[in-house]
Amino acid sequence: MRPSTRLLFLLALCGFGLLPWYFTEGMGLRTLGWLSGYPLGKGGSGLALGLSGTAPWLLPGGAMLLLAGLAWPRQDEQRAATILLWAGALGFLLFFLQGFAITLRGQGIPWLAALFGAQGAAQAGMGPGALVTLVGMLLLFCHGLAYRGFCRGDVFTCSMIGLLILMIGLFIFFPVVTVLKGALIGNAGTFDPGAFLDRFLDSSIWGLGCLTRDVSCGVAWNTLLLAVLCGAITTLLGLASALLILRTGMPAKWLLRALTVLPIITPPFVIGLALILIFGRTGLVSNVLYEWFDVPRTRWIYGLPGVLLAQVLAFAPIAFLVLIGVVQGISPSLEEASQTLGARRWETFSTVTWPLLRPGIANAFLIGFVESMADFGNPLVLGGNFEVLSTKIFFAVVGAAHNEGQAAVLAMVLLSFTLGAFWLQQRWLGKKSYTTMNGKGDAGLPTPLPRRVSWLASATVIPWVILTVVIYVIILTGGFVKSMGRDYTPTLEHFLTGFRIDFSRGFYFEGAAWDSFFTTVKLAAISAPLTAIVGLLAAYLLKRQTFQGRGALEFSTMLSFAIPGTVLGVAYILAFNVPPIEMTGTGLILVIAFIFRNMPVGVRSGIAGLSQIDKSLDEASATLSARSATTLWRVVLPLLRPALIAALVYSFVRAMTAVSAVIFLVSAEYNLATAYIVGRVEAGEFGLAIAYSSVLIVVMALGIAIIQFGVGERKLGRRATETGAAPVVAGV
Amino acid sequence: MMQKAGPASVEFRNVTKRYGTVTAVNNISFTIEAGSLVTLLGPSGCGKTTTLRMIAGLEMASEGQILIGGKDVTRLSAADRDVSMVFQSYALFPHMTVLENVAYGPTVKRVPKAQAHEMARNKLAVVGMKGYEERLPSELSGGQQQRVAVARALVLEPQVLLFDEPLSNLDAKLRRRMREEIRDLQRKLNLTVAYVTHDQEEALAVSDRIIVMSNAVIAQEGAPRQLYEEPADVFVADFIGDANLVEAEVVSVAGDRAEVRLGPVTLSLPARGMKPGKAKLAIRPESLLIVEAGGPNLLPGTIRKCAYLGNHLDLEIATEAGDFYVTRHGTREIMPEGQPVSLAFADYGVTLVPGG
Amino acid sequence: MVQKARRKALMIALAGSALMMATAAKAQGTLVLYCSVQEEWCRPMASAFEKETGIKVSMTRKSSGETYAQIKAEASNPRGDVWWGGTGDPHLQAAEEGLTEAYESPKMAELHDWAVKQWKGSQGRTIGIYAGALGFGFNTKQVASRGIPEPKCWSDLINAKLKDEVQVADPNSSGTSYTMLATLVQLMGEDKAFEYLKALHRNINQYTKSGAAPAKATSLGETTIGITFMHDMVTMVVNGGPVKVVAPCEGTGYEIGSMSIVKGARNLDNAKKFYDWALTPAAQKLAEEAKSYQVPSNKNVVPPPQSPKLADVKLIDYDFAKYGSSAERKRLLSKWDNDVKKLPK
Repeated sequence: MRPSTRLLFLLALCGFGLLPWYFTEGMGLRTLGWLSGYPLGKGGSGLALGLSGTAPWLLPGGAMLLLAGLAWPRQDEQRAATILLWAGALGFLLFFLQGFAITLRGQGIPWLAALFGAQGAAQAGMGPGALVTLVGMLLLFCHGLAYRGFCRGDVFTCSMIGLLILMIGLFIFFPVVTVLKGALIGNAGTFDPGAFLDRFLDSSIWGLGCLTRDVSCGVAWNTLLLAVLCGAITTLLGLASALLILRTGMPAKWLLRALTVLPIITPPFVIGLALILIFGRTGLVSNVLYEWFDVPRTRWIYGLPGVLLAQVLAFAPIAFLVLIGVVQGISPSLEEASQTLGARRWETFSTVTWPLLRPGIANAFLIGFVESMADFGNPLVLGGNFEVLSTKIFFAVVGAAHNEGQAAVLAMVLLSFTLGAFWLQQRWLGKKSYTTMNGKGDAGLPTPLPRRVSWLASATVIPWVILTVVIYVIILTGGFVKSMGRDYTPTLEHFLTGFRIDFSRGFYFEGAAWDSFFTTVKLAAISAPLTAIVGLLAAYLLKRQTFQGRGALEFSTMLSFAIPGTVLGVAYILAFNVPPIEMTGTGLILVIAFIFRNMPVGVRSGIAGLSQIDKSLDEASATLSARSATTLWRVVLPLLRPALIAALVYSFVRAMTAVSAVIFLVSAEYNLATAYIVGRVEAGEFGLAIAYSSVLIVVMALGIAIIQFGVGERKLGRRATETGAAPVVAGV
Repeated sequence: MMQKAGPASVEFRNVTKRYGTVTAVNNISFTIEAGSLVTLLGPSGCGKTTTLRMIAGLEMASEGQILIGGKDVTRLSAADRDVSMVFQSYALFPHMTVLENVAYGPTVKRVPKAQAHEMARNKLAVVGMKGYEERLPSELSGGQQQRVAVARALVLEPQVLLFDEPLSNLDAKLRRRMREEIRDLQRKLNLTVAYVTHDQEEALAVSDRIIVMSNAVIAQEGAPRQLYEEPADVFVADFIGDANLVEAEVVSVAGDRAEVRLGPVTLSLPARGMKPGKAKLAIRPESLLIVEAGGPNLLPGTIRKCAYLGNHLDLEIATEAGDFYVTRHGTREIMPEGQPVSLAFADYGVTLVPGG
Repeated sequence: MVQKARRKALMIALAGSALMMATAAKAQGTLVLYCSVQEEWCRPMASAFEKETGIKVSMTRKSSGETYAQIKAEASNPRGDVWWGGTGDPHLQAAEEGLTEAYESPKMAELHDWAVKQWKGSQGRTIGIYAGALGFGFNTKQVASRGIPEPKCWSDLINAKLKDEVQVADPNSSGTSYTMLATLVQLMGEDKAFEYLKALHRNINQYTKSGAAPAKATSLGETTIGITFMHDMVTMVVNGGPVKVVAPCEGTGYEIGSMSIVKGARNLDNAKKFYDWALTPAAQKLAEEAKSYQVPSNKNVVPPPQSPKLADVKLIDYDFAKYGSSAERKRLLSKWDNDVKKLPK
């Protein structure tokens, strides 16, 4: 056995023999009360609990661990590999199965528990000991594979692939499957496909009454309608601005570009909130219209128009960023070719430019579509009686009716919509190459837009720009006046309510928002680097290593992209509230939710970054005796800085602004800023909500600056002219 | 810390590499003696680079055994093999200076920094790159980058040094100089080198032995001269140098000599195990001598094309035995099209080729 | 070198944050409090208890419906200790489903009868901490501009002139709104009550999620009339909103804001400490400071002057046992869903 494998074996042994096997309440290093009775008791080790008869079902797995030890003295690696493969796989399986078979009393998998000789027994969630042992067994298996020459014999790569598969299985597939299972469980708590059909076919989901009568349509149709409109309008706006910026001499282009960054660091529902302050019944515009023109105040903003407007404002920048890349990618020489063939501007535009744009437009549309489907904050704030799937799922879980089965069914519908869109996107765009850039210098000048197109584009973009500016003015000033829309007396009241510090007894963070604020910043700061690490590591494995099932793995990392936050939130609650993995109410579950929701961005920017880095650099490093871990750290990572920054910034910002998933996962101890703000909005305390939001925006801007500074510039070699790989990503 | 292992032999035993259903290398066996320079030569897609990468550990053999210095390394990762490689693209780390690049190997092996830098400076001096230590790779010319890449590969004094088409990005003159330098270095430092190229001239110039690969198998293995003068088959004859491949007839075989008839000409050539009957004859263009028409045992023909190439002429001559490509040194006089000539055969560069 | 220093600084920052997470261990004695009144009241309650006892309180504010859902979801593995505040129905429902723990506080003698009645009706599993009558409020400016008489009764709310001008929470998500549903059924009889609700449906502009939200909306003028508990509207009046609070002339129901100990509470002793403390006059006085104008359940607390006097309100004899039961609740809610909510506007 190689030294690294021996170390691993010792660690696994330690996990089984010494570390507390279970997760117990009050576990921590400050107070050790939970350790009473060690090595037995609540904090006992797996070995002790197994031998003492408290948890004998742990022994078979332990035996496998000892079996792996037989490989220790082996010089012949192939023999050692055989032992490691068998012992690792069986041990992992045994530990894993006992965890799922034996959980709380009356749950788990009874027949399997009986096989373990633990009929009717119960056990707590897996703790540090179980974690170390389980991962250790998996890695021993991976080492065995590496001995066999898998992953070019690289132990590190094999281990990382194993870990990645485990994590994706545990934190993406397992929760989703749990939700889907939940859809098949009837009210009585038993398997009941009939109940599923009833719920699935319910008219509140698929009803088409709005077409014939004056009732609201099914929530699925509402969601689809909203998403299609949102996708279409954001694409139109994005295209118009991209064309204006790249193909006209429009003044103040910087403004347009700046406006595309702001919504990215804005908590999603804040735009909805600002819209209420502008267009609500007592909003700025409504006031003016009413007092000057006697236009009656209405509530048009609550419902489809309001939600759509908020979503368009929030997501159009993303469409813009996608489309500006596409417009830039169209080689001017193609258009020039058309012109030299005698085509006029309009003909060139309609016969050459437009067809080249089409696939990019499809992409932008699908992103807007999926974003809208997944959006939770804006429908919550502005929806009124217009229900969409994401909010309906939420109310199915938290409402008085408390119908998890219904939530699961709704989640399935939503998931199938987003997966469908995702599939379409992959299928459609996988086949077509929509960029004409080839790395060669392209000397041509872009054709200016035909005049009618440029007028049309301006007419679309200018109102949007004005509205966006107004909204940000409101967001930044709204916190400083008593009550937007009613009383414009300047005040610091809202900030004091939220962020008062009492200096009379040292520092006492008295303000109402401090708790959630600290928690949010802390969790975002922890999860951002972890997300980046997992994402970039996955990208490295996917892009640089060849192994069986790589395609499937890549698809599943992208899958979590298509899972709307509400669905993931429900899934996590259902999956991780009971042993073997018991995390609800902890900060850990939030961190994990952030990691696996935002990981695809790390993966994408990592893949984009890696494709610019010659693979032979890695190989050169390997032939200079560097193992993959060293190569990653010393060669790949320094060159991936732009991707690293993109991943860090994105995951930090997303963790700060996430609503949909976390609203289910926040707890007393770990409340988050967004959940708190949503509560304030619900209670009508717009001042505090706005004030808090503007604080968040400032903190995020600061955080981004710190990340930029901390990661630093990539030392520029021959790649000096490359633009950073900051991919535009649809975080769903 | 850094014990010198000295050069080691490389042995392939029935090695096969498959990617899915595609077989890149099919059941090949060969040995590279310690301290020799062996070239893997062949057209693109023949499996030579895959073979090299299997020595490095960048690809894992699907079947068979690979030994380095007599030790089985078949399942060892690249990092665990004492092998360095110079890449076609040089693969210098763009974010590191020249010195950091060369010192990379030792630092990975946890040699103290000062010592690692010392080792790096030594090797840079060996390749003549003293004074460039603090430059970034992007600030070097192609040839300089090449030298740095070589220094970096040398710094760990590996058992085996691999070159993957190291000269293909250089211009013709530099290529010639660099290949001489590589050869000198290999001799001076007594290295085992495996060298991949598709350029037969380069291979002939630098190698102790050449392994010619074609379609995932070894077509022929031998010393450069052996390959050029006694090609094992039509492919090798054609690939190593230029050759006129024509149908001829073996009239009789006596001992190791054969009487071969080509049109009106009869030649006495080494038999190479051929039986009487039809046979392929490989004739190097420089072995066809243009003489006055009318002598005995000559092949008459007419000039079809004549091109002036500075130090020699390229001619195409039509004869009853087929069209021949002929080079003519030592004259600068262009021969007019249609002029009748006679071809004589030199006593070198004309050989029977076994097999189809 | 600058590079290195930067990298180090970053590493330290990361390590630091990881450490913070790791050592955020629980202090001696904690209490997980689920709070179902508004934030402004929840926070002082938590910090006052913290100051007084040194027990670290982790508080989550969620509506009573959400909290009930959470406790139910967590039943196999409870996380909360005490559920304080929120309308009594979900507390009763939780008691009925055995999600909460019976406890007899030594402070019982100091409480009003209605609070003790709640305790008895739930086999000691939940207790009254405040009471408030259901009513509605209207925005005086809006009513004036619309030229309609000030509404005084439930029947005034179905005036056709008030189309899209009434706001109330969705009874599925709000205890307040369920109280209205149950009140109307008891007041008018089920059939008539549903006729009324259907008529009202035409005037509703939005069924909000939280019970108190219509109060704020009324104050802001986003709606003309909001149906809430009267004390929620009083808060708006106190804050200077153009709002008038109405106790409906036909009579109205009321809620008994309740408190329960979660079954299987991990900090049971601390939960009991909080329970006892929350019934003291000192704790109940915090309501007034938080601008909450319910009637406190401890007899020794003088209700705030702004509180609607229960004596002045025509209260019905609300049957908490019946309308708090799971079955009745489900039945009424699904009937409302099918007969009212799905109707065209």
